[in-house]
Amino acid sequence: MNPLPLAEAKEQGRLKSRFLQGNQDAAASEPAAPQANLQAFEKSLGPILIKSCLACHGPEVSEGRLRVDELDPNLLTGKNVDQWREIYNVLSNSEMPPEDDTDNPLTEAERGNLVDWLSRELNKASLVRRNSKEHSSFRRLTKYEYNYALQDLLGLPFNLAKKLPPETPSDDGFKNSSELLQMSAMQFETYRNLALQALKRATVSGERPEPVTYIISMQEEMQKATGGKSDKTFLATDDDYQKQINRQHFFDRESGTGFHYSNGKAMPRPDGIAGQNPPLSPVVMVLPRSKELKMNLDRFLPDEGTMRVSIRAGRSSMAADEHASLRLIFSAHTSNNANFSEVISERDVLVTASADAPEFIHFDIPLGDIQRNPFRKLTTTFPRRDEFLHIRNESNAHNREDPLHVLIDYVEISAPFYEQWPPKTHTAIFFESENRNDEAAYGREVLSRFLRRVWRRPVTTLEVDQFMNLFAEYRPSFPSLETAMLEVLATALASPEFLYLAQRITPESTNIKNKISDHEFASRLSIFLWSSIPDEELLKLADRGELQKPSVLTAQIERMLADPRAGRFTSNFVQQWLGLDGLQNATHLKDDALRAAMREEPVAFFEEVLHHNHSVMDFLHSDYAVVNERLAAHYRIPAVRGPHFRKVSIDPKTPRGGLLTNAAVLAMNSDGTDSHPLKRGVWMLERILHDPPPPPPPNVPEVDLTDPEILKMTLKERIADHRNKPACISCHARIDPWGIAFENYDALGSFRTRIKDKPVDATSELFNKHTLAGMEGLKRYLLTDRQDQFCRAMVHKMTAYALGRPLSFGDHADIDNLTKLWRTDGDRLGDLIHLIVNSEIFASR
Amino acid sequence: MSDKPQLMNRNTFLRGTGLALALPWFETFATAGPNSEATPRRFLSVYHPDGVGLPLKSDPAWKDWSWFPRGGEKDFQLTKVLDVLEPLRSEITIYSGLSHPAVRSVHGHSNADQYLTGAATGGHGPYKNSISLDQVYAEHAGEFTRHTSLVMSTNGGIGGPRGAQTQSFNREGRPIPAMNKPKQIFDMLFVTSGKDAAAKLARSKSSLDLLIANARSLGRQLSSHDQRTLDQYLDAVRDTEVKLTKAQKWIDTPIPEVDTTNLHLDAEPKEARLYFQTMYELIYLAFLSDSTRVATFQLGRENGEGPHDLLSKAVGLGGAHGLTHEVKKPNGWKNLGTYNRYQAEEFGRFAQRLKETAEPNGNGNMLDNTFAMHGSASSSFHLSRNYPIISAGGKNLGFTNGRYLKFGSGNEDNQAGAGIVTDAGWRGKMEAEELPLAQLFVTILQRLGVETDSFAGYTGTLNRV
Repeated sequence: MNPLPLAEAKEQGRLKSRFLQGNQDAAASEPAAPQANLQAFEKSLGPILIKSCLACHGPEVSEGRLRVDELDPNLLTGKNVDQWREIYNVLSNSEMPPEDDTDNPLTEAERGNLVDWLSRELNKASLVRRNSKEHSSFRRLTKYEYNYALQDLLGLPFNLAKKLPPETPSDDGFKNSSELLQMSAMQFETYRNLALQALKRATVSGERPEPVTYIISMQEEMQKATGGKSDKTFLATDDDYQKQINRQHFFDRESGTGFHYSNGKAMPRPDGIAGQNPPLSPVVMVLPRSKELKMNLDRFLPDEGTMRVSIRAGRSSMAADEHASLRLIFSAHTSNNANFSEVISERDVLVTASADAPEFIHFDIPLGDIQRNPFRKLTTTFPRRDEFLHIRNESNAHNREDPLHVLIDYVEISAPFYEQWPPKTHTAIFFESENRNDEAAYGREVLSRFLRRVWRRPVTTLEVDQFMNLFAEYRPSFPSLETAMLEVLATALASPEFLYLAQRITPESTNIKNKISDHEFASRLSIFLWSSIPDEELLKLADRGELQKPSVLTAQIERMLADPRAGRFTSNFVQQWLGLDGLQNATHLKDDALRAAMREEPVAFFEEVLHHNHSVMDFLHSDYAVVNERLAAHYRIPAVRGPHFRKVSIDPKTPRGGLLTNAAVLAMNSDGTDSHPLKRGVWMLERILHDPPPPPPPNVPEVDLTDPEILKMTLKERIADHRNKPACISCHARIDPWGIAFENYDALGSFRTRIKDKPVDATSELFNKHTLAGMEGLKRYLLTDRQDQFCRAMVHKMTAYALGRPLSFGDHADIDNLTKLWRTDGDRLGDLIHLIVNSEIFASR
Repeated sequence: MSDKPQLMNRNTFLRGTGLALALPWFETFATAGPNSEATPRRFLSVYHPDGVGLPLKSDPAWKDWSWFPRGGEKDFQLTKVLDVLEPLRSEITIYSGLSHPAVRSVHGHSNADQYLTGAATGGHGPYKNSISLDQVYAEHAGEFTRHTSLVMSTNGGIGGPRGAQTQSFNREGRPIPAMNKPKQIFDMLFVTSGKDAAAKLARSKSSLDLLIANARSLGRQLSSHDQRTLDQYLDAVRDTEVKLTKAQKWIDTPIPEVDTTNLHLDAEPKEARLYFQTMYELIYLAFLSDSTRVATFQLGRENGEGPHDLLSKAVGLGGAHGLTHEVKKPNGWKNLGTYNRYQAEEFGRFAQRLKETAEPNGNGNMLDNTFAMHGSASSSFHLSRNYPIISAGGKNLGFTNGRYLKFGSGNEDNQAGAGIVTDAGWRGKMEAEELPLAQLFVTILQRLGVETDSFAGYTGTLNRV
């Protein structure tokens, strides 16, 4: 018999869903004061438990320290809720009683009755405990949220929070979990310093500074370099011309003359004006793949401000299968063996224009943020004071005839660069006003506007007064209103209402089920989807009390997801959900481009599913992949060109599709040399099924790698050997089979059919005796038998992230209810976001 | 249920803050002595570039001019390089077989940066450092003194990546600028008034008051659970206020008056003896007046040229860096040894001075309460292994001196990499086993009273120290 195709597995699995069968709306129509159904337990369910479970979980033997005869059947008031939940899980996943235990059978009807009873009782118990939630969403901003909030508030595109310590992920992997977001004096002081620094970067004083401007025309440079002589040049008509063109060189496209050149020196032009667009020059710098032009800029770049680098560049060939991007690198070589270089461009920028109609590519680099040559201001000449800018061609050029080169004819470097004066970031704080000359009135205007954005709510006169008092105290020590005001604004940025996500108890809200205010709702929403503070539109809707109107809210969610800031949600959620930070510790990954592509893939895949509102079953399996050229090469998917990620259909024989086979997942759950089934199994349970295994017991015996018998075994055999030790078997039997199903993928995530000289054996048997035949078997099993568990896990993870707190038993009923609603509509990712934002739990304290 | 106290052990808490806080050690556990709480514990590290002379045994110069001592732990003999320390024999310890693993195969010229940090600073490309030993201690001891630490070098400033001119790096791994002009150091320690600082403090104080008022008003509108979360914020603000009050206290406390007889505040490195002695004297006075308990001093930068290269003039020799390249020339080993001997002599003079000064509170002499180390991140030519390290003092902190401590194995006679004057040395394979210097740092930190069991990712202390 042929195995069930995965698409059909998905259909069949859906039919099995408990969430989609009747009886489940019991939760919604539950009477106001739910009662435990003890009658049913005493009459029939208790006896079934005793009959089938007592032998192993009773007074004689109590495996897993569980005794079914001692459990309190009242889930609403009793203290055994956690044990009952565990029993519910193992029963509904058919993990208990063990299949091979024929002495203690449990019929399917009995199982069904137990599961139904437990499901209802758990639901009631959760509702009862709902109002006594253990965890609160009141928390400070995370490091990245703080950074985005400052960026959006001040209009600065730089990383402003580098000095804050990193966050600790929760057990769920989330960095925004309220319980772990602590505050310390050191952290508080860092906030104060960062705020003042950021404000100083956003504002200016005095006259517009004269920029330092370098103008590098390749025509002039070639003239300088060759001195007009032709003895070092070569010609396009030379016999060995093909050999010459793979080094960087000047080339005169009119005369066909070339000249090898890699390092130049430029000096600022006192009369140079940036922003020119001179006529095209026939002389260009030709940069082949992976080659660079290195310019010595001496020591004249200013300490702070933006350096704008404008490069006029075009492609030597328009071959569709080749691409080239520019990257900037900054370096210095101060003395023998004291050198550094670092990439300063945030991302590579594609060159798209043709050589005949080249276009400018602009890079804006914050000079104060990059590693500079600390000796640049010496009056002596040693150590060396000069600084170097490298323009590098990152490319996949591969054609033998006429490979793609980047041709550059003109470069401008100017710093400090301002789009306008005073810059927008300045006028956003110190705006024009008719009160400009009345410090008290103007100060109040500035503060009112600023505080409203910082606190994300309307501000009272009294509150502005407090800050005005501080301003009045500071003003005499500073030369101008602006300089004194910056210190006051920095205080506002260290205030708890900026740093924390508040949820107040107000007289009105006590009546309506712990509802948060419209403004608090706006903050919660923007932190969820933008990792930042609300924008003006959200604030205005909150001011008018309209934000939570269903039609308004739906439109706002769509607007927010379409905004580029939603990329912060997709990347932060996916990275934390899947634990992609682990990739940084994968020391066996030597290729940084591959590592970066691996890290990007799950995010790009998630975005694909989100933007098309696909079912999240695509995370388990899809007939497409979302890859770029680097990753496609890694997966042996042909004909994907270019660094951007895009959806690619894959044929059923390609062992990819879904998240489980993403190279990032496979590589980070490896041990440096080979796959690591245990890590992969734990990852599956924690991240995909939300069924985290208990931590290993103390005194776990190590695998003895000096034992020659053990060394001879394959990894799978070694694990089996280890697992068979009595101390380990109970947990490992529930973890390892999941990981062994991934064995066809090596430590880099490449597909393999042999390990050393043996064929890969990726077949494993789950604790409930279900056989998983490799990755395809795993996917088929998840799709046919675990859809509910996976969907509930998705709802749980997304809700925990949206609320910024761990979920507890009091949330159980809400999560079940959301899962049911979501499954009914087809498990679509976009729907899930709407569902959560529209839920009661999202609008509650 | 919402009133359930938040159970959290200290590790969870520390994890949560994301900071490796240095928690005060229970003072009484740390050292003996009736009055030990009141006695300052001090730390000094002196760094010299370019390593030391390490001729091969077969070389006639080996007998006199090889840096490391001969013999065993207690019966060691000093060669001519270190014989100036013979009078202090019972106060010093000499170490071999220690180095920072991350850069053992990086050119020695790039490595002054990581001597006190143990970071993988590498040889090229992007650069990242981490906190230095002295600054970990300064985070702990800084609150007791007017200045958290005194950072000095002959060249001053921070230098460049892989060309450090400071030994001190903060928690973010950023270099702390070193002071190099005796006059400026003296003014900073003993002259500067705190007028501007006082105004700044007053402003900070008002800002904190406003934040506390703001937090309280928010707190009144929160649930009791959320109030407890906000309490952490209030605690942080109050702790900051306490720090300000302390800073205020220093502004109000008169600056100590010191004996300036031995100071030559205009001395420059080319007057090597005067300059050296003045810099050491400034450290001595800073310690004596308890202006700080932490100091670093870098003698020059790796790889020649600059003011420090003139230090070897003190013993009538040319450029200090050149000495390491010219060991195969006539008298080469002797010249390098003579310069290293001079460095040891000045270090010894400083240790002697501490020894002769009674601790102001009567608990032994100042050397007994000071751990002073002297060393380099290379031994032989450009070789970042087997760091030559001397320490002095620390008896009351638990250090037992008068010993030559060899660590690791396979290089008992310090011949690995000896006699090489080409880059084959530092590029060569590591043949001997050495221990992480960070483990000595953990020992030092623990004895200074910092509760920690790891440094730069290395856990554990060194046996026998």
